[in-house]
Amino acid sequence: MNLATPLPAAARPRRRGRAAPYLFVLPALLLFSVFKLYPIGWSFVISLHRTVAGTETFVGSDNYRRLLDDPLLWTALRNTAIVLAVQVPLMLALATALAVALNSTLLRGRPVFRLGFFLPMVTGLVAYGIVFSVLLNKDYGLVNWLLGLVGVAPVPWLTDGLWARISLSLALTWHYTGYNAVILLARLQTVPAELYDAAAVDGAGALAAFRHVTLPGLRPALLLTTVLSTIGTLQLFDEPTVLTGGGPDNATLTIGVYLYRNAFTYADFGYASALAYALTLLIGLLGLVQFRLLGDKS
Amino acid sequence: MTQSDRNGADRPIGRRGVLRTGGALAATGLGGLALSACTGTGTGTGGGTGRAGDPKKGEITVWSWQGPATELKALLPDFNRVYPDIRVTVQDIGNPAIWDKITTGLAAGGQGLADVLHIGVDYLPGYVERFPGGLADLGPLGATRHKDAFASGLWQTVCPDGKRVNALPWEANSAGFYYRADLFEKAGVDAEALQTWDETIEAGKRLKAKTGVHLLGIDKPASQPDAANFFQMLLQLQGAFYFDLEGRVTLDSPEAVRAMTLVKTMNDAGLVSDLAGGWNALMSSLKQGTNAVVPWPTWFGGIVEEQVPAEAGKWKVRLPPAVRRGGPTAATVNSTHLAVAGSSRHQAAAWCFVEFALTRPASQVRIYRGKGIAPALMKAYDDAVFHEPSAFFSGQKKGEIFLAALKAPSPAVNYTSDYARALKLITDAQSRVLLKGADPATVLREAAAELVRQTGRKAAR
Repeated sequence: MNLATPLPAAARPRRRGRAAPYLFVLPALLLFSVFKLYPIGWSFVISLHRTVAGTETFVGSDNYRRLLDDPLLWTALRNTAIVLAVQVPLMLALATALAVALNSTLLRGRPVFRLGFFLPMVTGLVAYGIVFSVLLNKDYGLVNWLLGLVGVAPVPWLTDGLWARISLSLALTWHYTGYNAVILLARLQTVPAELYDAAAVDGAGALAAFRHVTLPGLRPALLLTTVLSTIGTLQLFDEPTVLTGGGPDNATLTIGVYLYRNAFTYADFGYASALAYALTLLIGLLGLVQFRLLGDKS
Repeated sequence: MTQSDRNGADRPIGRRGVLRTGGALAATGLGGLALSACTGTGTGTGGGTGRAGDPKKGEITVWSWQGPATELKALLPDFNRVYPDIRVTVQDIGNPAIWDKITTGLAAGGQGLADVLHIGVDYLPGYVERFPGGLADLGPLGATRHKDAFASGLWQTVCPDGKRVNALPWEANSAGFYYRADLFEKAGVDAEALQTWDETIEAGKRLKAKTGVHLLGIDKPASQPDAANFFQMLLQLQGAFYFDLEGRVTLDSPEAVRAMTLVKTMNDAGLVSDLAGGWNALMSSLKQGTNAVVPWPTWFGGIVEEQVPAEAGKWKVRLPPAVRRGGPTAATVNSTHLAVAGSSRHQAAAWCFVEFALTRPASQVRIYRGKGIAPALMKAYDDAVFHEPSAFFSGQKKGEIFLAALKAPSPAVNYTSDYARALKLITDAQSRVLLKGADPATVLREAAAELVRQTGRKAAR
């Protein structure tokens, strides 16, 4: 058939039919525009204002300039970067190991283990934060009591800067490892068993099979969990708020906590909005870098 | 923060107002029968709306927290005998959750706010300054007639410009010094004879050596904003604060350095226990008897009685020692207030409730009996309940001790709209002093410079 020949009218999609997809996405689009897009845009407008004696005053880029000169923001960024550089890789390594173990046919009662590791994810953020703060209390906490039984002196889990960061990382790892493991496990189950058979035939041991079959197979899921964990870490709010209140001496202050404080404690919505935009930019840039580094080159 | 961190009209709303909070949130997401009739005229201009509603009818909601909310609820049967057509719902929002909720409501132009709002002195100036019209002007509703009814200085707090009445005072808390008399006795120290904090530190060393207990406790890592309560009390005992009356920053004043140095001296001598975790840790320490002194204001007496009833007779209370010999031992360290939302459709009815609760001695006496909440209404103190010996506090007339403090001259305190920022910097500075041994003058100088930078205010020094 000559490709240049127009299709018969009956074979062409009808005009009315073309509108259907748009009609279906319209409600979601409307809701997104009203409750997300418009406020996000308005937030940018707010970021250019400052409340002076109850009046919104246009200050241009002043709020953004304040960001560069704000030592607490740099503290928050440093704290966030520490979690990102230390906790996230450790958690993802643990999640990968967990996913491989949960995928192993050698493990009996796999559904029970999968459920067990995923359960922390469904626990309320505030609830588990409170539980951790009680467990880790220096004087009255269960953890120090147990350590005391084996002769270890009380650890200032939440009252010393370094230990507070470690406590925060422990809480985050407990909460999110199972979630990441489930994502990795789902991907792992799509890796063809034939690849492992072929590797075995080629004389590959367990480590070589992991390196040359499992890891490449997990690559898209690893990228996803890395990006999600990065976004989650940059927006970290609940855990430091409940566990340490951002302290001691701002050791666990995160950008999310600082942003919230500026908006709702100091009622400085202009600066909080500027912080939110800076945070969004940061998340976008880091996400881009991660896609470039870990993404599929093809 | 301070007091506020415990216990427990068809206003046309501008597009800008409604969306303002939405925008911020979205971006955050990315990341006596004497008052047989209420004196409201029904023509109040609260919130600039010009609508006050019917003073005898309506449905109103009240936001408060824990203990005070319970006491306001208990007033309702009496209130409804006088105002049968005003239906009141008291909601316990919780503290500190209530502050974020009010801030959000005010930022949204009053959308979703209750009619009556219980507000601490630490938040009131910020709400008034940042959200003009967010709170109703109670003057035209009849508040001004009660101007002289409250403890000294409190009218200036609710009516700083002498015109607009932003709220009516409820609680007036004086600095207190609750102590375990039995422990002091065991250590051979006469607690009543301690005149200064320097003397108290020396007594604390003896107390620690003889009984093993700390002198007092502080939330060293500042888990909660009220970690600086003790420091702030020492500051107020010197007639100083974080800002002067012109709103200039005074975080590094000689008085502040003196107060922080006292805190450091106590800590370095091992007299300060760590109450990391805030309120829960404080309650635990109270039950375990780890501290001999609880330097908290008037309202804390009710908490002590509630938490350790078995220790009746072991406790005593006095006003705190002076910071400098011969200096003041009385200071009104905080207060709370009831305000009416500018967005309320029933401002007159809401005012009736506020007036009934706060200006009628019978209401305040009832609340005092229920939760030990000290009234700002001076006439309430005529009641015998404030002059009775307390079995718990070793037969002392606790009410009279604090009444004397309320009657003492108390300098005006300017909280300003930047109190929350100042408090944050102070708690950070205190943590550095307590946990890292930092120099008080240095951390306070840095805190003052940072507050000036963040707020654009002038430094007093």
